[in-house]
Amino acid sequence: MTLFGFEAYKTFSRWRTYISFGVLALIVVMTEIVMRVSAREIIGSMMKIFQRDFIIAGNILNAWFITTFIMNSLHFHIPFLVTLVAGDMVSSEATAGTIRFLLIRPPSRQRILNAKYLTALFYTAGLVMFFAVLCVVLGLALFGSGDLIMHRLGQFSVVFIPEAEIPLRMLLAFAAAIWSMTVVASLAFLFSAMAENSIGPIIGTMAVVICFLIFGNLPLHFFRHLKPFFFTTHMLLWQGFFDSSIRWLEIGQSAVILGLHNAGLFLIASIVYRRKDIKS
Amino acid sequence: MECVLKTFDLGKRFGKRWAARGLNLEVHRGDIFCFLGPNGAGKSTTIRMILTLLKPTTGAIRLFGEDLHKNRVAVLSRVGGIVEKPDFYLFLSAFKNLKLLGSMTRRVTRDEVMEALERVGLSARAGDKVRTFSHGMKQRLGIAQALLTKPELIILDEPTTGLDPQGMKDVRELIQRLALEEGMTIFLSSHLLSEIEQVATRMAVIHRGEMKAQGSVSELLAREAIDYALQAAPIEQAMRLMQGVPWVQVLSSDGHMIEVRLEPGHAAELNKLLVANQIEVAALYPRRTLEDFFLKVTKGAPGI
Repeated sequence: MTLFGFEAYKTFSRWRTYISFGVLALIVVMTEIVMRVSAREIIGSMMKIFQRDFIIAGNILNAWFITTFIMNSLHFHIPFLVTLVAGDMVSSEATAGTIRFLLIRPPSRQRILNAKYLTALFYTAGLVMFFAVLCVVLGLALFGSGDLIMHRLGQFSVVFIPEAEIPLRMLLAFAAAIWSMTVVASLAFLFSAMAENSIGPIIGTMAVVICFLIFGNLPLHFFRHLKPFFFTTHMLLWQGFFDSSIRWLEIGQSAVILGLHNAGLFLIASIVYRRKDIKS
Repeated sequence: MECVLKTFDLGKRFGKRWAARGLNLEVHRGDIFCFLGPNGAGKSTTIRMILTLLKPTTGAIRLFGEDLHKNRVAVLSRVGGIVEKPDFYLFLSAFKNLKLLGSMTRRVTRDEVMEALERVGLSARAGDKVRTFSHGMKQRLGIAQALLTKPELIILDEPTTGLDPQGMKDVRELIQRLALEEGMTIFLSSHLLSEIEQVATRMAVIHRGEMKAQGSVSELLAREAIDYALQAAPIEQAMRLMQGVPWVQVLSSDGHMIEVRLEPGHAAELNKLLVANQIEVAALYPRRTLEDFFLKVTKGAPGI
């Protein structure tokens, strides 16, 4: 715990750690204000295909809708923000030369790496929680509460979740979002353990995430077969909590696959780092 | 004498190149042990192996009689060190840097941190971010962090680099004080031969990764001494006498002292010869500097 405290103190003493929180705040505030201003237009375009057959009443554009709407962009911007810190976690010590003071201390490399990894996960969880709280609190202030009515793109169906069920589902969805983002953190952490500078791990992680996202969405037979094996596919497991009935099995499978990714990536990082010669 | 640090056939290979090979170092308790070698000789590689930053390709390291890699935690908690440049967390204060780094070894109190800073003259800057420190100040802070947990062995890799003459003198005195008054063992690598000459009790010379000499400074310097300073009267008579001796070469004379080069093992014979010829010998002693010795064992290697 001392080492974890040490790492957390260092991480949260650097101003650049807060860039991500600032960027997230900007995205959420801007999105919610714009949505508040153009609420009628958004609802109109969303419900266009249903308006002939259904009468939709009540506060559709509420905090929960806005939150799920913004959450859909989660796998684009949060991975980048997670990478900024997780990709820097080990390699920045090599760049700054502080690694020499750190590794000549009694704690083993594995213990130091564990503390750093825990800090990266802690930061990732903190970032997603900040995002969640900001989305919901600002959403409630600007749009109020209500039932969640959603239309999934490309599907002729509407999902209806009563207001009473939403807080729990939202909580589970954000927990799943944290879990999915830890894979990005683990990947960035692995690259960070291998590298001597921070740029490589950040660019490397983003390149992997972007490639997997693109491959997973290409309408080609070859990639469709591979899609279930991409971690980016399972990163959307949080969406399962906003189906009419929660598909626990699918969510569980994705969670296990993501967990295995985390374990595998951290294991490789550990092996690499324990064997590494510190020449910097 | 207790051996604090001992290496056995220690070696490190990078690709096909051996950076250090077959090193058998022996550092005794209370030594100020100086590790000498030209640039690229393998000094830092050796220090990095001793401090577990590099994994040895061959050999073993024993600290305080225990195998370093089997008893890492116990052994390293008794060691402090600096490897090359002292790089700190620039965004943290000097105090916080020491507190955090020290707490990785054991719980350190505020007073202990302040005491360490006081010893290197940085207590007034304790609260300042390291970003605002000069190189010399960082170097002193590096020494403070090495001392913080009161280790039994301190390993300092070129600790006076970047210090002004006063700073170098302060560090030199601090090193001597730590060894004499507090019984710490110091393992020191430096390029500055004059500095080493002033503080070292034992030393080792490494060249191209291989050990060239090891022992007490006086013993090493005396072992191969061939140049002597002679104070004799009457000096002219001594000069005349020596000019006829095949194993003596008169190098210089300032009218008071004569510098002579003798073939090995003739010092006592010269003394006897002079006295037998009614020449009074006030002094006859080897004149060999560490620099002469160093250049000889490293065969004039550049870079020092």
